[in-house]
Amino acid sequence: MTVRVMVVDDHPMWRDAVESDLTRAGYEVVAVAANGREALARFAATEPDLVVLDLQIPAPDGVAVTTDIIDRRPQTRVLVLSASGEQDDVLAAVTAGATGYLVKSASREELLAAVARVADGEPVFTAGLAGLVLGEFQRRSAAEPDEPRLTDRETEVLRMVAKGMSYRAIAERLVLSHRTVQNHVQNVLRKLQMHNRVELTRYAIERGLDVDDEV
Amino acid sequence: MSTAGAAIAVESRLLRALTVLRLVLLANAVGLNIYRSGDVDHPLAAAGCVLAMVAWTGYAAWAYVDPRRRTRLLLVADLGVAVALLAATPLVKGGDFDATIPGFWIAGAMLAWAIHFRLRGGLVAGLVLAAADLALRQQHHASDYNDAFLLVIAGPVVGFMCGSLQQMATERDAAERSAARAAERARLARVVHDGTLQVLALVQRRGHDLGGEAAELGALAAHQEQSLRSLLRASDAATAAELSGAPAPGELDLVTALSRLERPGVTVSAPGFAIELPAPVVTELVAAVDACLANVRCHVGQEAPAWVLLEAAPERIEVTVRDEGPGIPAGRLEEAEAEGRLGVSGSIRGRLADLGGTATVTSGSYGTEWSLVLPRTTLREEAR
Repeated sequence: MTVRVMVVDDHPMWRDAVESDLTRAGYEVVAVAANGREALARFAATEPDLVVLDLQIPAPDGVAVTTDIIDRRPQTRVLVLSASGEQDDVLAAVTAGATGYLVKSASREELLAAVARVADGEPVFTAGLAGLVLGEFQRRSAAEPDEPRLTDRETEVLRMVAKGMSYRAIAERLVLSHRTVQNHVQNVLRKLQMHNRVELTRYAIERGLDVDDEV
Repeated sequence: MSTAGAAIAVESRLLRALTVLRLVLLANAVGLNIYRSGDVDHPLAAAGCVLAMVAWTGYAAWAYVDPRRRTRLLLVADLGVAVALLAATPLVKGGDFDATIPGFWIAGAMLAWAIHFRLRGGLVAGLVLAAADLALRQQHHASDYNDAFLLVIAGPVVGFMCGSLQQMATERDAAERSAARAAERARLARVVHDGTLQVLALVQRRGHDLGGEAAELGALAAHQEQSLRSLLRASDAATAAELSGAPAPGELDLVTALSRLERPGVTVSAPGFAIELPAPVVTELVAAVDACLANVRCHVGQEAPAWVLLEAAPERIEVTVRDEGPGIPAGRLEEAEAEGRLGVSGSIRGRLADLGGTATVTSGSYGTEWSLVLPRTTLREEAR
């Protein structure tokens, strides 16, 4: 089944370039939008599987759009594409539920590879984003002791991503399967996104923890 | 809110508190006059004076609410009423009176002067009331002198504090406004920069597609795009550090300083918050990282990819520099050191050792990795 994609970017040439790349690679671009308002309206109308989203768009901005999209259809994959890589925004978008992030200067091949991975639900982290996420967990564990922490293995994998290593190189170095590395990164992303109580509770139940004392 | 607005808001707040105090003083004065009604020569006149106090307290409570009504005339009338009631005391109670009719109620007028005209107003009102009180008495007891002295002291003190509060509020407002302006400037700059970066990235992409001379243009655009992005990152980190409060004197933000090392090929990964350390430590650490990167350029290639990762645990700072080069053969550094060539060893290991940290290098199929570790405890000791 072809993956249905929506492209959101306020720059028409960019939008067209990304759209034609995706179409040529076999994706079905079901909608394009130039601002947050259009994006949310067209998202509701077309329900795409994957959204390629620029963060700097006329209001509501990329972070707000990500939050709203994940709220409405949590299974939607969001790949954030940003020119400036504004750090707070990128971290906010990923915390809000985006599955991947790529700078716009990435080549066409890198973009298509990222879209393919995000469509599979595989997180796409840049080294810079991994560094931010490591810092965020450090900050959270200092400020809120109850927040989920990363396991030693997850931290190890995330540090390697932050040092620019590919999943394959990480798998080789840690003598793990590619799939296991991927799972570790996925868990990091899940823990990062569990920022509200409902999700925390769900997490605790999944883990078979007794939540009666806490809630 | 304008600068004057903050001062007026402080004044209004203090005057509201004063209204409550005036009511307490009024209740006290009315109670005492009823209690002492036995030693009054003219009871009707005394009742008139008490009614005047009640009426004036009510009028003042209303009049002081609106800043436009707080005129000199109102304040002069406020003090005038207090002096007039003091002056009426010998006529109503006879020349050998002990307590004045208004008693402590006159403090209301004095505090209003202190709040409105600050130090000088408090002093003038305190002196006028103290002089009036002492001038009317035939005999002066020690307690009369004490009361007068307290009035003269309290007026300027309250006036000075009110002035300080207004100044602080004005300064706080100015600081908030300038922070808001800086944030707005940063936001506007971000929009412009994002547009520029988009176009550069697009030129790079299209140039690559078209090939030939266009590809060269694309490569140029790519170079500029990367330079601008790292410049923006460093300035963003600096703005964020500034907005979250200026670093302590003699301290620098390590995140900002390391971000400046980003260039084509070099990626700096760091937390999204500032890490403030003593300036000499930051300078030395950045110099050590720069030496690692210079080593990469020298031995792997001019634009060879390298990654810098900064982590800040509560107990230590760790910077890792990784490249994908073949690595340094075991014993090579020691050999160079023994030969008297201190290059890498001196600039990286020496700097870290001087800071009380360690620098270790490992190589393997994954490339070469320098790990620079600084325990926070040595940093604290050094700061002492």
